[in-house]
Amino acid sequence: MKKLIKYLAIVLFIAISLYNSIYIKDLDEIKAEKSKTSFNSKVFASEFIENKVSDLKAIEALGFLNEISKNVKSYSETHGNKLGISNDYYFIIYGNATVLTIEDEDVVVALAKSQQKLKIAIDFIFGNAIREGAKMANIGDYQNTMDYNNISVEINNLVRENIVPPFRRSVKIGDSIYFKGAVRVNVLKQKNDTLRVIPLQLNIKS
Amino acid sequence: MTILPKLNKTFLIILLLAIFTTLGCKNKKQNTTKKVAVVVSTLNNPWFVVLGESAAQRARELGYEATIFDSQNNTSKEAEHFENLIAAGYNAILFNPTDSEGSVSNIKRAKQAGVPTFCMDREVNSLDGPISQIISDSFSGCVELGEYFVRQLNKKGKYVELLGLVGDNNTWNRSKGFHSVVDHFPELKMVAQQSADFDRSKAMEVLESVLQSNPDIDAVFCGNDAMAMGAYQALVATGKANNVMVFGFDGADDVMNAIADKKIKATVMQSPKAMAQTAAELADEYLKGKRNFSAKTPLAVQLVTRENIYQFEDFGSTN
Repeated sequence: MKKLIKYLAIVLFIAISLYNSIYIKDLDEIKAEKSKTSFNSKVFASEFIENKVSDLKAIEALGFLNEISKNVKSYSETHGNKLGISNDYYFIIYGNATVLTIEDEDVVVALAKSQQKLKIAIDFIFGNAIREGAKMANIGDYQNTMDYNNISVEINNLVRENIVPPFRRSVKIGDSIYFKGAVRVNVLKQKNDTLRVIPLQLNIKS
Repeated sequence: MTILPKLNKTFLIILLLAIFTTLGCKNKKQNTTKKVAVVVSTLNNPWFVVLGESAAQRARELGYEATIFDSQNNTSKEAEHFENLIAAGYNAILFNPTDSEGSVSNIKRAKQAGVPTFCMDREVNSLDGPISQIISDSFSGCVELGEYFVRQLNKKGKYVELLGLVGDNNTWNRSKGFHSVVDHFPELKMVAQQSADFDRSKAMEVLESVLQSNPDIDAVFCGNDAMAMGAYQALVATGKANNVMVFGFDGADDVMNAIADKKIKATVMQSPKAMAQTAAELADEYLKGKRNFSAKTPLAVQLVTRENIYQFEDFGSTN
């Protein structure tokens, strides 16, 4: 009888120990939880393009070109964003312009009330200009830098797929347009007439 | 009355002892030079030799005793170095890791022992381990290289990609930067993607083997310059050097010369000196009391091609 109680107690002890130390969960549930905690650059990029572009602080393009032609380094250091140690600065600019020429990779425009030219990118939309211009994320918050870089990849994909195609289909020489987008300025090599805008907003007004 | 002079004498002796002890300690502290360890993934590659030596040199210029440790691309060797240098009382570590995951435990062990670590060139997957990580902006460099690649191939052709060490984040940042451009051109077909571990001889072997099944390739993209040189050697050996474009990454002297000699198409110049010096300076600031550091400090890189190589007179890994 005593032995029976002893064995029952041992079995009970083992059962309680095992019950508290082994957890069985659905693998799909765990995968879903893990994906919730890992960074999703696609969602981050969509959220930015859909909800933040209209209110994004930007510099009027003509004033911007005038300022960088005076002292590109000083202006960039004060008003631009850059990534780490670099001579490249990024800005978000906007303006009204007239279409001068339509090329394979760019639409060349003249800014309203001025002869100053800019290129609006319609192909070869790559790099970090939008991410850095908008300063939407901080590299120090990302354990793996690739997550940070994927933000640019996804934003560029959205620009390429959603913002450029309707503009490219309808734009004609002489059109008046409104644009908002990101530019990169290298303070050592800068030439104003070659600035290329990666668009965030493009509207044909006439 | 006789007690007072005795007390005075005793007091005087204690006072003098205290003064000498304090002065002695102070002098000793002033004479003790702080020690900085420079732990480098491998000294078998000239680029990393420059990285390690530049870090040690800058640390010495800042008044530290600096020693270089070679991990021989081996995480257990690296762990051994960390154990030894923690025991030896080093004050800071300038660290070029062997593995983005595997090296984290070493950094954390040093942190627990109160030794700050500053990563150079290679990233580890930890935000709370190292004080700061000084890394090349490899992704952006390979985006520019990718654009140049696409234009040189007129948006069509077959190519091979030689990857670096698969456990290193630089390998994937470079590869993904490149593919973020090239994959948008459907007529550019990657016929093989294989790792050659950032090693020249392995790259030669891998490409020779790939060429047997794909003799008609138009280009090779390599994750570093050592592999680019190995790939070029393989192309020379098979008589294809004039027909296949080779692209690298690093800005190593031999590749810069090969670009000038029209043997290699392009590379991306990163500066081991600037990274190493920045790491040493940050460590110095930390040891002097600064605590607010950016977790990551990327350094810009530059595309080097046949068209702009004249701008890099003092080129190569010595920059």
